[in-house]
Amino acid sequence: MSSATTFLLTTIMISFIINIAISLYGVFAKPSLVKKFIALTIFSDSVNSFAILIGFRRTPLGYPSIAVMPSPPQSVEDLKRFVSEAVDPVPQALVLTAVVIGLAVNMFLVGLIMLYYKYYGSTSTRRVKI
Amino acid sequence: MRLSDIAIGVSMAMLALLLSYLIVYGGLGPIATLNLRPLAVSFLNYTYNPWKIVYSAMSPEAVTAIVWDFRGLDTYFETSVLFIAIVGLIALFRGANVVQGVSSKGLSIIVKTSTKLVAPLILVAGASLAFHGHLSPGGGFQGGSFMTVAMTLLAIAFSIEFFQQKKLTLNRLLAIRCIGLLAIVVVSVYLLVKAVLLGGYAYIFQNMPRINSQYSMPSWFLDRPLAGILFFFNLSESIAVIGGLTLGVVLLLLREEELKAIIGGGEHE
Repeated sequence: MSSATTFLLTTIMISFIINIAISLYGVFAKPSLVKKFIALTIFSDSVNSFAILIGFRRTPLGYPSIAVMPSPPQSVEDLKRFVSEAVDPVPQALVLTAVVIGLAVNMFLVGLIMLYYKYYGSTSTRRVKI
Repeated sequence: MRLSDIAIGVSMAMLALLLSYLIVYGGLGPIATLNLRPLAVSFLNYTYNPWKIVYSAMSPEAVTAIVWDFRGLDTYFETSVLFIAIVGLIALFRGANVVQGVSSKGLSIIVKTSTKLVAPLILVAGASLAFHGHLSPGGGFQGGSFMTVAMTLLAIAFSIEFFQQKKLTLNRLLAIRCIGLLAIVVVSVYLLVKAVLLGGYAYIFQNMPRINSQYSMPSWFLDRPLAGILFFFNLSESIAVIGGLTLGVVLLLLREEELKAIIGGGEHE
């Protein structure tokens, strides 16, 4: 692998990790529920993209192809070539469902914040005395 | 600046450092290796393998094969999580009803006309994404959430009363969502019921013929692969997702007057 690719991948990975840390900081430190929610969505998106990055691989071509056969394989050689060129599908399959479930759970959280605001007139967790 | 803020900041910096350390010196290892992990090799090998049908999903798309065949039971419970999140939203907004004639009738005529043009296109693109999920990248989850975008556009441009006028009430959306989930259950036990009635063995979430069981879903439709159970799962999952997420969007777009009915409008100490 060329040093430029290594440098790029390392940069992306470190930026993902820092993104995760900053968004977690937002979840913990910000008093506003809306800002907490935004930080939480950034956190889940960073983790999902990070999981996709783990599935990245090198191939004899240099870059992987998507894990889809253009047509059903005619011989064992076709299948072997597909396995040698395709990207790792497992992280994609895990992230796929996580994204949609994240959407539904985020909807639930937004509804919760909406009702919180209706009850207390503020989304701050510090100002409200329960 | 509080002490707790400093503590949180320092611990987050430690988290970033430790995660980097784990990735570099253990755990995940190098990212872009030439060799795949053994699990991924096995999945890719048996995605469409006419020579070993008893292990294969017979679908040209590896991700959908993993989601609905190799790890089908997993995905079923993930669908249940989606369902339970929607149920939680409904429980929060219990007693909510869309009232007619509360506020203005949606946005301006320009937005309405462009929405009329764009929304059917989005619906068709989402449907193709869902129904082609076993042949090209896509699937029930993605197609369903794609179609929900069109429904959200409609709900914002025409206001949520538009759904009510088109007989798409909250209860009916919930019914669509439940029908989707029930269809998944029916498809997953279809071969089992068939085997019980006709004699022989079958498994839950069985797709192609397996060891000890010769029953199978259709793997070809006319001239192209159908991948059996995967197509039906994508179909019912997209119906379930579009019903559930549209219901969630409508609940989140409820107006002031309708929200008053939920929380009583009174002040709470």
